[in-house]
Amino acid sequence: MTERISHWPGIELSAADLLEGKVTQTRFRPNAKYAWAAGEAMSRFLEELQNGRLIARTCHGCDRILFPPRMFCEECFRPTDAWTYIRDTGTIETFSISYLDTDARRISEPILVGVVSLDGASPKMGMMHYFGDMTKDEIRIGMRVKASWKPREERQGSVLDIRYFRPLREGEG
Amino acid sequence: MTFLERTTDPRRFRHWEGNMEADYIYTSGVAGERFFVALRDEGRLLAARCTACRFDYLPPRLFCEDCFAELKEFVEVPREGRVTAVTVAHVDRTGAPLDRPEVWAFVTFKGIRGGLVHRLLAPPDRARAGLAVRARLRPKAARVGAVTDIEGFEPTRS
Repeated sequence: MTERISHWPGIELSAADLLEGKVTQTRFRPNAKYAWAAGEAMSRFLEELQNGRLIARTCHGCDRILFPPRMFCEECFRPTDAWTYIRDTGTIETFSISYLDTDARRISEPILVGVVSLDGASPKMGMMHYFGDMTKDEIRIGMRVKASWKPREERQGSVLDIRYFRPLREGEG
Repeated sequence: MTFLERTTDPRRFRHWEGNMEADYIYTSGVAGERFFVALRDEGRLLAARCTACRFDYLPPRLFCEDCFAELKEFVEVPREGRVTAVTVAHVDRTGAPLDRPEVWAFVTFKGIRGGLVHRLLAPPDRARAGLAVRARLRPKAARVGAVTDIEGFEPTRS
């Protein structure tokens, strides 16, 4: 309220007034159901994660391999052409050492997150994920990494079917 | 191929279902409150009167639509009204078929601006504009201060 206005016109009602039925009222609960779909490309991507594979889309217009897959090429403005599997190894493009967890709570042991570009996809195409089996002092841009998959029975078609990306070992890749 | 055909059923894809909670409570307002309390407690239908314009409004409202004066006087609506328009519904509000068709009418009252849309308690073959009707109220104990305190409008002459 201001100096000039001590109260607003009208009749104020408290929540209790409404609950106790002090005034006549209409109550309604809309049947507002929804189904949010991941779409054609991301649905296939998630399905393939459950199989322990990474899938991309190729575009014959620009000869790129798009990952994460999409049904439309943003360079060529045309539908993409075919599905292709890529590898689960890649290179760290960028990373953060985070002392906040996913709920923005402070944590003492940092989590490592970042973007990994994946082998088999066009340059710089990849995904954001956690990094593990490495310390905050070891992580480097350009580091070679490989997906650490959850056991098959624990996978549920989520991006977290990959636990994290870990350093590529000698002889791998 | 996608983009040439639109996705009409999200369930074809991996999807997440939910229910948006959008509950609301809608109060009747000052004039509406007078109307519903009189209906519930006294079984009367009230209209708001503008003494300057000599209009009575049903449902009652707080301001005159013509002169914008605040309306403080309420008058009782005549017992007998007339059906102005009817419709026979064969599906309910959700589109599900009804076992028996329902008749709905817009009922107006002589000398009163506006009217009420409600059930017409008459068989579909009797439903027609011009029918003289009267409100049938629920018993007082069952009235809650809602438009459903009126069961419907029934013909005054059979």
